[in-house]
Amino acid sequence: MAKRGLSHREVTTPDATGTRVLIRDRKPRNWELLLLLGPPLVFLLVFFLYPLGRVVYGSFFSPQFNVAAYQRIFRAALYLKAFSITLRVSLLTTLSCAVLGYVCAYFLAGTAPATRQKLMLCVIIPFFLSMLVRNYIWMAILQRTGLINKLLMRLQIIDHPLELMYNEFGVLVVMTNMLLPYMILPILASLLSISGDLANASASLGASPLRTFWRVTFPLSLPGVSAGSLLVFIVSLGFFITPALVGGPKQTMISNLIDFNVREVLNWPFAYALATTLLVGTLILYFIYIRVLEGRLPRMGFS
Amino acid sequence: MDGSLLSAMGRNWVRAMGAAVLAFLVVPVLFVFPMSLSSSMIFELIPEKPGLMQYARFFGSSNWMRAVLMSVQAACGTTVLATILGVLASLGLHRFPTRWRASLEAMLILPRIVPSIVFAVAAYSLFLRVGLAGSLLGLIVAHSILATPFVVVLVSSALAGFDRSQEEASRSLGANQFRTFFRITLPQIRLAVFAGALFAFNVSFDEVVVTLFISGTYTKTLPVKVWDAILYEMSPILPAISTLIISVTLLIMVPVLLMQRRTAAP
Repeated sequence: MAKRGLSHREVTTPDATGTRVLIRDRKPRNWELLLLLGPPLVFLLVFFLYPLGRVVYGSFFSPQFNVAAYQRIFRAALYLKAFSITLRVSLLTTLSCAVLGYVCAYFLAGTAPATRQKLMLCVIIPFFLSMLVRNYIWMAILQRTGLINKLLMRLQIIDHPLELMYNEFGVLVVMTNMLLPYMILPILASLLSISGDLANASASLGASPLRTFWRVTFPLSLPGVSAGSLLVFIVSLGFFITPALVGGPKQTMISNLIDFNVREVLNWPFAYALATTLLVGTLILYFIYIRVLEGRLPRMGFS
Repeated sequence: MDGSLLSAMGRNWVRAMGAAVLAFLVVPVLFVFPMSLSSSMIFELIPEKPGLMQYARFFGSSNWMRAVLMSVQAACGTTVLATILGVLASLGLHRFPTRWRASLEAMLILPRIVPSIVFAVAAYSLFLRVGLAGSLLGLIVAHSILATPFVVVLVSSALAGFDRSQEEASRSLGANQFRTFFRITLPQIRLAVFAGALFAFNVSFDEVVVTLFISGTYTKTLPVKVWDAILYEMSPILPAISTLIISVTLLIMVPVLLMQRRTAAP
């Protein structure tokens, strides 16, 4: 019987002990790859890369080449304010996620694997629920007539409702709530990869638990903290729903500005310029994320 | 890391604070269930006169039902398209020379990395040009771009554990590519494909940012209508709708999570 078209090439690869081991690898035929990867890549090109390209192009050519839109962005105080608000909110969100996330990850790392799997559901399941619905629930909680104010008033702790929404506080609380999983998962992975022997060695050498934590555990968990922080920061920058629903006018972030320029004012070139700026910023940060942290972090599924 | 590190370090403090954070994540979501049983205009955690009034209003409203129908149609279309494209991409990725595989994978995941507002503007702008704005097909296309990366990740990880030599054995015995795929490969990755399909449905069903831009008056999906209601009406029907939306996701995610547990190596 003819062996149809199987072309092997002999390849060696080091195994776990470093010895070179012979494996056989079938060379993929070009038409195979074309048939398989062609449709998805063409789809991606036409309906994702091309539209993005149009946006970048449109920010510079409206229709003649001009940088008027960019000049407006980087000169007008109004738009610089939006950028600074975006950065400020993102940084504060990252900070609060880092603190709360580390505590939670540390707690989870110290639980038995069986318990931990169940507790992880508390982190993962809300993550997959509709973000719109979760933001609405927070509105119902934080509003003047919302659950918190009603409870505090009923318990007669306060006379007038607290302003928990349409301000920076509300936005930070909700964004932290939305983004904590992005922080908890990498830190947890980092903590779990620390060998228990190190803690034991440190203790046996006379270090107090606090010192062990500060000198041994915490430094070793920093890759997870950096990964989580960078991730939270990047996602915060482009956040749209929370500042739109929970924030006030002073919490207008870049994404809200883009929305305003497209759906309200129809100022396309300007919207394109804002979008391009956000896009380029995001991509640069992701590039940094991948370069700096890849390989220093245990694989964690997809994030 | 074992538990001994926690033992003398204020273990109880860490436990309390860690549990508090977990509660912070989970409890708000639970609130919406009792809230949806309220019959009044105010938000109550423990409704005075609990009833299914709001649900009745929701199912009895042709406006809302039309939005639900649109969402389901878009989600079904997305599921089919994203799953097919995702499986094809994963198979191709699996056979791709290892050197460039990571870059190719990064490109396939790109739609989840780019902020949704940027893609929303890009898609809206293009759709206006080619007449897809406000159309169901446009919804399906845009949602598929956002859903395919999930399918790719899920199916790729299943393929990673799949032994290629089975395919080769099948081929050397005379079966062609298609037969090999459907009789050998697919049965072993079908859990991942199914999970990917469910994921794609969920992505489309909940999608709001991009859909806000590309949907038209006659193609409003459920999330878009909820968005409008939040901004302009704030009616007591919203907790009930929220409960339903969450329940759909939970129904979808539970089998996916169970599947992940099953296929995860011990």
